Amino acid sequence: MAGDTPHSVVQVSNLQKKYGSTTAVDDVSFEIHTDEIFGLLGPNGAGKTTLVELLQGLRTPTAGAATVLGYDIQDDLYAVKDRIGVVPQSFHTFERLSVRENIALMRDLYSDPLAVETVLDRLDLDDYADTAFGSLSGGFQRRTGIAMALVSDPDVLFLDEPTTGLDPAARRGTWQQIDQLPALGTTVVLTTHYMDEIEALADRVALMVDGGIRAIDTVAALVERYAGTVKINVTLPKSTADGDDQIMTTLRQRARETHQPDSQEMVGIFDDQQTAQKTFSDLHGIDPNYSIELVSAGMEDVFLEVAGSTLDTAGNRR
Amino acid sequence: MKRLASLTTTLLRDWFRNREAVFFALVFPLILLLIFSTVFAGGAAEFDLGVQNNDVNETGAPTPLSATFVDALERAEPLNVAHIDSDQDLSNADQIAEATGHQRVLVIPNGFADRVRAQSGRVRMAVIRDTITRTRGNLTDDQQTALDQLQANMTAQAGSGDSGSVEVTLLLTPDDDAAGAVESILDSVVGTFNDRSIGVEEPTTRIQTEERGAEGISAVGYFLPAFIVAMILINGVMTVPSAVASFKRDGTLKRLAATPLRKHEWILANVIQQSILAVGITGVMLVVAWAVFGVRVVPGPLSIALIVLGAIAFTALGMMIGGIIRDSGSAISLGGAIALPLMFISGIFWELDLMPTKLQQVAEFSPVTHYHRSLRQLLILDSTAGVAGTFGLLLGLAVIFFVGALFVTRWQEFD
Repeated sequence: MAGDTPHSVVQVSNLQKKYGSTTAVDDVSFEIHTDEIFGLLGPNGAGKTTLVELLQGLRTPTAGAATVLGYDIQDDLYAVKDRIGVVPQSFHTFERLSVRENIALMRDLYSDPLAVETVLDRLDLDDYADTAFGSLSGGFQRRTGIAMALVSDPDVLFLDEPTTGLDPAARRGTWQQIDQLPALGTTVVLTTHYMDEIEALADRVALMVDGGIRAIDTVAALVERYAGTVKINVTLPKSTADGDDQIMTTLRQRARETHQPDSQEMVGIFDDQQTAQKTFSDLHGIDPNYSIELVSAGMEDVFLEVAGSTLDTAGNRR
Repeated sequence: MKRLASLTTTLLRDWFRNREAVFFALVFPLILLLIFSTVFAGGAAEFDLGVQNNDVNETGAPTPLSATFVDALERAEPLNVAHIDSDQDLSNADQIAEATGHQRVLVIPNGFADRVRAQSGRVRMAVIRDTITRTRGNLTDDQQTALDQLQANMTAQAGSGDSGSVEVTLLLTPDDDAAGAVESILDSVVGTFNDRSIGVEEPTTRIQTEERGAEGISAVGYFLPAFIVAMILINGVMTVPSAVASFKRDGTLKRLAATPLRKHEWILANVIQQSILAVGITGVMLVVAWAVFGVRVVPGPLSIALIVLGAIAFTALGMMIGGIIRDSGSAISLGGAIALPLMFISGIFWELDLMPTKLQQVAEFSPVTHYHRSLRQLLILDSTAGVAGTFGLLLGLAVIFFVGALFVTRWQEFD
């Protein structure tokens, strides 16, 4: 069935994927809108990659349905594939071929592609066009992967952990490339475990934990709903065994709620800036030797609130 | 079609830039071709032999019978005969090589012809006497009396003159490793000469000789088709699965599967790539065979079709292996476990006739045997004997393996 260009480019309805007794994707429903950057945030093993691979036609669902650009992911598989771009998590391509040759291969696989030079120019890869893929740094390899996905002129681009393993500069560069895509008419589905990446790029985000989507909205709405607007982080001295002293007591009394990610740290979440600011001053007055920070709440706090844990840099829950 | 062409081009580029693949697929078979064709191109060994004929008449010319004997020596192919003057005195020569320039010398004595004739006469008379003795019981008294008289005269004649065999002397240096072989050859020549001198034209027993193997084919003529097939087999069953497993492991295949490329196009592109390589590398091997060994082979449409069909069949088998195995090293091992025994039992490295009979029977079940045999028929012998069957066999295998590759290759649910 041919699809008209819908407002929702991806529609997922009760999608499920099981491997034996293990449920990787558990009855998931959501929509992705045209020309947005949609973030899929979750720890390793949450089912993010399985979910996007279902949408890419790389896996078959156990139950449920989904359409991409109005095409059913099972019945119109190759119509879907012809209009999406994919940068997999563990991206690799022909390493002895140059950047230009790899992009040219992708161009020839699609029905309505862009010119190779256009993509090279858009991703600032002109200087590396004739370099073998295997000789590139991790950042430029990832950028080549994005170029290979973009040469098909996709309506939807799936980026699975696009900055994992990159140095900070390369991450920033990749973010800039991703950020400009909606303006060029490409909807981006960004899968990541980096909170800052979601905060920097995503228009809307779905929090995925244990195969299910626990929350879905804009970053600002999620922060407001789950994390308040401001938080105070208190790092306890090592001599404090249980942290049950005056500072901790004060924080518990003033904050809307508190979390203790580990025995040396406590986080208080506040709904308004004024209360948080006063509490911050009072805590410093009690004992200036404590490390006390006043920070705006973010996705980490949202995740902590929703999933009951936070993530380390490798994407594992802690 | 554009997808197929682009992917095939990509695979070819990737192959040409892969040094290991180029070595194993092109350089390795070429090295084998050069080594095997050189080693086995020498044919039978030749032995130098100096001959001094002392049986000459007053003018110095050899007697007819001694000349016949020397002629028999010259006709013996393993011997490279050189003539030494009869006035060269070898009776007291300690160093044969220094005296004659040859490591070994055969000396024909003076009176050789007379003694051969005498000895021949005695042998013939003995045969006649024996015949008379055997038939005596069937004769009349008068006939018996006449025969007794004749036998008495023959006995008297046989007893006169020199008795015993003629001795020709083979002078050797002590360190002559080939002495045994040369003595053997001389025994054979002398035996033949004795038979002729006695004049028994119809011996009661004959030795039937039977020739087998690639009659009239040079070593390079044998090994060229064999190593073309070896190259196709190694490429298809070892290199292809290794590459496919590697693409599967590093995510390249998954990336391709996320595009509009179909699974059958992926398999087909690999098959086309290997077919193009097979024809190209065959061309290189033919040029090398022509340049190094002077063997000029121009493949016709049938031989090219057979090369391509074999490449399709064995590449499809390789795609099957690559579809099953995830690890590149394991894929090479499994491919090797199939390809190497096939090559050994199919007469790639040596002629089938050199193998035990049981193994020769087993080899007939190997498609590789029929493949290189038919390729030899087409390329070297300019014959189509048995080729149709091989086309059918390879076509059947190509279909089976291609369907098998389609079945085992994952295009979804990657690990």
